[in-house]
Amino acid sequence: MSHNNSNPQDDTVKNKERRKFLGIAVGVINIALIGAIVGPVLGFVASPLKRRKKGEWVAVLDDSHLAPGDVKDVSFTMRIRDGFQDVDRQYTVFLRKSDDGVVCIDPACTHLGCRVKYQSDQHRFLCPCHGGVFNQDGDVVSGPPPRPLDKHPVKVEGGKIWIYKEV
Amino acid sequence: MSKILLPHDDKEHTLSPEVPADKTRETETEEEELRLRRPSLGDWLDLRLGWYGFVRKNLDEPMPAGVGWWQTLGNLLLTLLMFQFITGFALAMYYTPSTVGAHASVKHITYEVTLGSFVRGLHVWGSTIIVIAVVLHTLRVFFWGSYKKPRELTWVVGVLIFQVILGFSFTGYLLPWDQKAYWATVVGTNIAGTIPVIGDDLILLVRGGPEVGALTLTRFFSLHVMFLPAMLMGLMGLHLYLVRKHHIAGPVNPQKGPPVAFYPNQLFKDAIVLLFGVGLVIYLAIGFPPALEAIADPTGTDFSPRPEWYFLGLYELLKIMPAGYEIVATAIIPGLVTIGMFALPWLDRSKSRHPAKRQWIIYTGTAVILMIGLMTLKGILETPPEHKAPPVVGATQAPSSMREVAPKSLPAEGKQP
Ligand code: FES
Repeated sequence: MSHNNSNPQDDTVKNKERRKFLGIAVGVINIALIGAIVGPVLGFVASPLKRRKKGEWVAVLDDSHLAPGDVKDVSFTMRIRDGFQDVDRQYTVFLRKSDDGVVCIDPACTHLGCRVKYQSDQHRFLCPCHGGVFNQDGDVVSGPPPRPLDKHPVKVEGGKIWIYKEV
Repeated sequence: MSKILLPHDDKEHTLSPEVPADKTRETETEEEELRLRRPSLGDWLDLRLGWYGFVRKNLDEPMPAGVGWWQTLGNLLLTLLMFQFITGFALAMYYTPSTVGAHASVKHITYEVTLGSFVRGLHVWGSTIIVIAVVLHTLRVFFWGSYKKPRELTWVVGVLIFQVILGFSFTGYLLPWDQKAYWATVVGTNIAGTIPVIGDDLILLVRGGPEVGALTLTRFFSLHVMFLPAMLMGLMGLHLYLVRKHHIAGPVNPQKGPPVAFYPNQLFKDAIVLLFGVGLVIYLAIGFPPALEAIADPTGTDFSPRPEWYFLGLYELLKIMPAGYEIVATAIIPGLVTIGMFALPWLDRSKSRHPAKRQWIIYTGTAVILMIGLMTLKGILETPPEHKAPPVVGATQAPSSMREVAPKSLPAEGKQP
């Protein structure tokens, strides 16, 4: 490096330009470095966005065990992938047999996801969190929930009630 | 040649290996002369670190006349946050962030590890007292108008620290992986889902999957022990630097009298408050050891989820929002309050720091604070009693049953003479 160029006092046009160029180059390199580390890490952290739900039919109850007009909660186990591990996760759903057949109601409150309880004496679902109330069909009666309880597809085959559950 | 300040001595001395002191200035007392020729370890270090100057500068930090007890909260926060760092580091030695191990490891910490219940108690109660202290600290700065020029950025950094502390609470709450932790996190993360358009993706991102599970736990753990502490340290460093640079704002009505040095009067007040604050945390940790409820059970329908008490205001707000308007409670109101806090120094344009001279900001602020306070109070009063004394693995029953189990699960080794 010549003496002239390294002298900060040197105000020649050439030196000014050179300093400006080097400054921009350092800036560009720094941005590249930040991108090189932040980009991959963001992609890594955002990996769950790629996850797609998979569904499965599960037999949850003998059809004969559900009387017309009844609401019953049934638990069943599904093998799911939870992070790095395969686990048996228990789920609970409500089954209700009406004139139109069997409906399967998901217990997750549509407000913020607390588990609703069924009150058989009042024929309604009650959410313990913010007091959401749903009727037997899962429609909102009162409280903050914005939509009816979610339903899962149901079929009756071979004397068993099957539901289609996405996980 | 370097100059240093010796503690408790107002004169400047020259201390340099090359130039003996007596050649540069009049000889002073013989004692001092000796000291400078044969520096103590402290002097030796000072020549390299400038330590005396640093200590001296901080002890001499000028306090405007009229500062007092209200100015001790920052020091209390700093100390309690250090405590959290130390207890957290210790807890992490026994903790396992997995759905299989988390609950068992916290149980192990609480009932088997020596002083486990106490150390966990310090961490749990410490977090509560920190939230109280940070609220009081913020309120003090708000009512004193201490955020005004040139201290705007000190305030902004303070608000960021406030957010980081809430982040610590939210992520830390899940780690024991018990029913309370699990359900509070289900509801808390569902809040992200109420945001239009990006809500569903946001949930996936926060939870690491569609449901609260193994990946949620590792995510929260990583945030709690890596990301947030790093953020907090940087922000606290900046905050302290700014506080020192601009000094403390002092009372609203400037009082007569020269500034007083931080040491000894104010430091002594700080020490008293630390004694009480830390004493309170220790008392609570011993008197009210943290409980552990039953392990997280996604199927359980007999559990009423409730968040930590300082999020109860938000929880109550969610109750009164009519269907379809939950975004008002989950994002709009908290968002406006947060933006308002950040923008406070620019919203409040009055030159004077006196509350009477900036009425609208004081009224608005007071209204917001009262609302939050009332909602929180409502939430606390409506907490069902069984959640005030957690039922399943209460501190009273579990230790004895654990003690019966412990020897069996720790065979031979533990019993050898
Ligand atoms: S989660 Fe059910 S009412 Fe809020």
